Amino acid sequence: MTKRRETKSFLPLTPAMFHILLALADGEKHGYAILKEVARRTDDKVRLSAGTLYGNLARLESAGLIAESDRRPEVVLDDERRRYYLLTEFGREVAVAEAERMEEALGQARAKKLFRKPKLA
Amino acid sequence: MAKQTLPFSQRLFRALVRVLPFDFRTNYEGEMEGVFREQQREAEERGGVLGALKLWKETFVGIFTTAPREHWQILKSDCGYAFRMMQKNPGFTAVAILTLALGIGANTAIFSVVHSVLLQPLPYSQAQQLIFIRQQEKKLGIEDLSFSVKEIEDYRAQNRTLSGLVEYHAMSFTLFGHGDPERVRTGVVSANYFDLFGIQPLLGRTFLPEDDKLGAPPVLLLSYEYWKNNFGSDPGIVGKTFEMNDKVHTVVGVLPQVPQYPNENDVYMSTSACPFRSSKMHLEDRDMRMMKIFGRLKPGVTVAQASADAATIAAGLKVAYPKSYPENAGFTSAATPLQQDLTKDARPTLLLLLGAAAFVLLIACANVANLTLARMARRERELAVRSALGAGRSRILRQLLTESFLMAFAGGVLGLLLAYGSLTLLTDFVGRLTPRAREIRIDSEVLLFTLAAALGTSIIFGTLSAIFSRANLTSSLKDGSTGAGTGRQQNRVRSALIVCQIAFSFMLLIGAGLMMRSLFKMQQVNAGIVPERVLAMRTTFNWSKYTEADKTNLVVQKLLNRVKSEPGVLSAAISSRYPFEPEMITDGPESVSFQFQIEGRALESGQAPPVGTFAAVSPDYFKTLGIPLKGGRLLAETDGDKAPYVAVINEAAKRQFWPSEDPIGKRVSGDGGEHWVNIVGVVGDVREFGLDHAPAAEFYASQAQNAQPATLIVRTISEPRSMAQALTRAVHDVDPQTAVTHILTLEQARYESMASPRVTASLLGIFAGLALLIATAGIGGIMALMVSQRVREIGIRIALGARPASILQMVLGQGLLLAVLGIGIGIVGAMALAGLVKSLLFEVPPTDILTFSGVGLTLLTAAALASYLPARRAATVDPNVALRAD
Repeated sequence: MTKRRETKSFLPLTPAMFHILLALADGEKHGYAILKEVARRTDDKVRLSAGTLYGNLARLESAGLIAESDRRPEVVLDDERRRYYLLTEFGREVAVAEAERMEEALGQARAKKLFRKPKLA
Repeated sequence: MAKQTLPFSQRLFRALVRVLPFDFRTNYEGEMEGVFREQQREAEERGGVLGALKLWKETFVGIFTTAPREHWQILKSDCGYAFRMMQKNPGFTAVAILTLALGIGANTAIFSVVHSVLLQPLPYSQAQQLIFIRQQEKKLGIEDLSFSVKEIEDYRAQNRTLSGLVEYHAMSFTLFGHGDPERVRTGVVSANYFDLFGIQPLLGRTFLPEDDKLGAPPVLLLSYEYWKNNFGSDPGIVGKTFEMNDKVHTVVGVLPQVPQYPNENDVYMSTSACPFRSSKMHLEDRDMRMMKIFGRLKPGVTVAQASADAATIAAGLKVAYPKSYPENAGFTSAATPLQQDLTKDARPTLLLLLGAAAFVLLIACANVANLTLARMARRERELAVRSALGAGRSRILRQLLTESFLMAFAGGVLGLLLAYGSLTLLTDFVGRLTPRAREIRIDSEVLLFTLAAALGTSIIFGTLSAIFSRANLTSSLKDGSTGAGTGRQQNRVRSALIVCQIAFSFMLLIGAGLMMRSLFKMQQVNAGIVPERVLAMRTTFNWSKYTEADKTNLVVQKLLNRVKSEPGVLSAAISSRYPFEPEMITDGPESVSFQFQIEGRALESGQAPPVGTFAAVSPDYFKTLGIPLKGGRLLAETDGDKAPYVAVINEAAKRQFWPSEDPIGKRVSGDGGEHWVNIVGVVGDVREFGLDHAPAAEFYASQAQNAQPATLIVRTISEPRSMAQALTRAVHDVDPQTAVTHILTLEQARYESMASPRVTASLLGIFAGLALLIATAGIGGIMALMVSQRVREIGIRIALGARPASILQMVLGQGLLLAVLGIGIGIVGAMALAGLVKSLLFEVPPTDILTFSGVGLTLLTAAALASYLPARRAATVDPNVALRAD
C-alpha cells in the first residue's frame, strides 16, 4: 500500500522513532523488548510509554519502515499476544540516513570547536 | 476474563486507552496492556510508589499526545477517501450538494432576516429599556390612538417608571433655499429625543429643552443620508439656514448613520418649529391627537410595571376628563417593548417562512439520505470488504459521517452564496413589514448558523444512511446478487423516507396554495373604484402662501381648470387622500378617523361617540375614481366655503349609523356642535385601506370647505404614466413653488397594497416548488432503483406470461402508494398547523377543500409522472437478458 517515498522525506526522525529503529537493527523484537532495549541503551534517558511506543510503531509500520514478523521464537518463550517487529530494508536506509545526518552535524560542531574538551580516543 | 478480577490500575489503563481511535485500539490494545503491565511490575520493583507514579505520568502524556495525532491521521485519510468517492460519482455528488445547498441556502437566508429583525437588539444603547406607549379605545376597536399635547404633558408629569419620555410625529414640508423647492420628510421630535435613544450627533448638536419653548428660533437636524446625498457631506453645514413654512430654520447638527425609527426622515425639527404642533388648537385641545410617544425605563423597572403605570395614568385621565374619554370606549393605555412593536407585523410571516425553510431542509436531508442509501447499495460490497478487513462498525460510521459532512459543507458554502444573492430581494420584502429591514445582513452569527445547519444536516443524513446500511454489511459478502436479498429492508427505509418527503412537501404546498388562494381572493375583491388609467400625484403647495381658505380654494380651482384643459385628461380632482395610498395602507383608517355627534341623538353618559373616517375631496373625485352614487347627490362646485357645510357618506356609514332611515338631510358635527355638516348623498363603498380591509364608514367632505389639498387625481384617456410630465408642468404653470412627488397610478397603488401577501405567497411558493421537485425526484429515484434491483424477478414474471401492461401497473401502483401514504400524513400535519397560517389568510379557511384537493392531485400527478419512466423500463424488460444478467 505505502509508496516508498524518498528516504529524506522522513528526516529528521523524532528521537523516539530513531531509537525504535535502532532497537530493531540487530533483530526482530516485540514491543516490550524494544522499550527495554531503548531504556538500557540510553541509560533510561529515553523512556517510552506504551502510548508513545505503539503510536510510533503504527506510523513506522504504515510508512513501511518496520513490519510485523511472521516468525515466532520458541513456543515456550512466546506470548501469544505479542507481535514481533522487524526493520525493513527501507527502514534500515532511513535509519542510516538519519545517523549520517547526525554524524555530519556532529562533525560540524567539532569543527567549530563547540566541545570545550574534545575527547581524544 | 472476569472483569472484577482486574486490578484497578489495569482498568484505569483500559479507560485511558479509549481516547485512542477505535482502529488503533483494535490493533494494539492487547499489546499495550501487556507492555504496561510489565512496565508497572518493573517500576514497582525498582522505584516503589514513586516509580509507579512516574510511570503513570509518562503513560498519561504518551496516550494524550498519541491520540490527537492518530485521529487527525484518520480524518485526513477519510477526507481523501471521501473526495475520491465524490469524484467517482459526480452525478450523485452534484445532486446531493445542490439539494443540500437549496435547503441550507433557504434556511440561511430566512435566518439572516429573523436574526437581524427579531433576535438582535435594536442598535441603540440599552435598547431593552426602550418602550412604546399606546393609548387604546378597545371597545371601539382602536388599538393605537395617538397622543395630544395635553396628554403627553400628563404622561410626562405623572409616570413613575420612566427615566425619559419623548414624542414624535412625521410631516412633509417644503424646503426652500437649496435649488428647487423640495419636499422633505420631516420628523418632529421633542428635546432629548436622540439622547433617549442614545444617539450622538455626527456634527453639531441635537435638540435642547430651550428649542421646545414656544417662539424659540426654528432649528433643524439633518439625517446622515440627506446630508450626504443633497449636500455632498458638507462639513460646514451647521449654521446654514433654509426657509420652511415661511420661517428661517437653522441647521444645528447632522445625525450619524443610524436606522431611523419609526420612519425614515430627511430632516428633524423641534416641536416648537412645527406649525401644526405649535398651533393653539393642538396645544390646548386634548382631543387633537397626532403624536407617538417613546419612553426609557428606569433601571430595574420591567415593561409590565411601565404598562401598569401607563394604565393608571389613563384611568386618572378618564376620571378627570370624562368628555375626552367616554366610559364605553374602553379607554386604556399600555406599554410594549419598542423592539416588539417595530417587528409585530413581520413576526408571524417570518416565523412561517422559517418553518417552511426548515421543512425544505428536512426534505433535502431525507432525499440525500435516500440518495446515499441508493449509492450504498452499490457500495455494500466495498464496505463489507472493508469491514471484513478489520474496519470496525464505528470506523465505517465515521467514514460515512466524514463523507456526509464534506458534502453538507459544500452544500452549505453554495447555500450561503444563494442566500447572499437573495438578500436584496428579502430586504425589500421585509421592508414592507418592519423598519428594521435595513439591518439585515449576513454576519458571523449567521455564518455560525449555516455551519451548524450543515453539521446538523450531515449528522442527520449520515447517521440515517449509516444505520440503515449497517445491518446489511455482514450479509452482503455472502450474497451473490447486488443486494437483492438485503435490499428489502433498505427499500422499506427508503420508502419511509420518501413518504416523509411527500408529507412535508404536501404541507408546504398547502401553505403556499392557501396564500395564493387568499391573494387571488383579494384580487377578486371589488375595490369599489375603477382604477384603470388614473394617476395620483402628491402636490404640496407652499403653505405659507396659502394661509387662508379662499386663497387656497382659488389656487386649487385654477389648478384643476388648468389640468382639465390638458389634452388627454378626462377628469381631475384634488383630495386629502386616495384609495390604496401607500401611507394609508401602512397607517390604516385610524390615522384619518374622527369622532362626531349626530344631530338629535344624545349620547348616554359614558357612551362613546361614533367614529368615522374623513376625507376632503373636490366634486369630481367620485367621477374620476368611478365611485357610484347610491342616493342623494354628489358634491358640487356650489358647495364652497361660504355655503352650508355638506358631506357625502358611503354605504358602510349608512349601514352603521342610519341602518333603517335615510341619512340624506341628517346633520353631524365633528367639533362639538360648533359647525354642522349636512349629509347630501350616499356613494358606494371603497376599500380605501387595502383589499383585505372592510370598508370604513367614510365621510367625504367638500374640499372647498376643508382646504386640505394633498393629492391631484387625474383620469386619462390613454396610459396615465405618459401624462405625468405634462401634468407636472401644468401644476408648475399654476404655482412653481409647488412640489410634485409620489406619482403613482392607482393600479400601481393597488398592486403595491398587496405586496406583503404577494411576497409571502411567492416565497412560500418557491419553497413548496423546491420541495415538490426534490420529492418528485426522490420518488423517481427510488422506483428506478427498485426496478433495477428486481430486473430478474420481473424477467421471470414476463417469461411466465405477465403482460407488460400489468408490470407497468404494478410499478406505477407502488409509486402512487407511497404518494398516497405521504399525502395522508401530510393532511393530518396540515390540519395540525392550520392555526399558524390562519392570521395571514384572507377569506380562505386554513382547511380549504379546494386547496387540499388541488395540492393532493398535483402531488399524485407528480408521483405518477416520476414513476412512469421506471415503470416503462420495467415493462420492457427482456426476460432473456434479465435472466442472464448476473
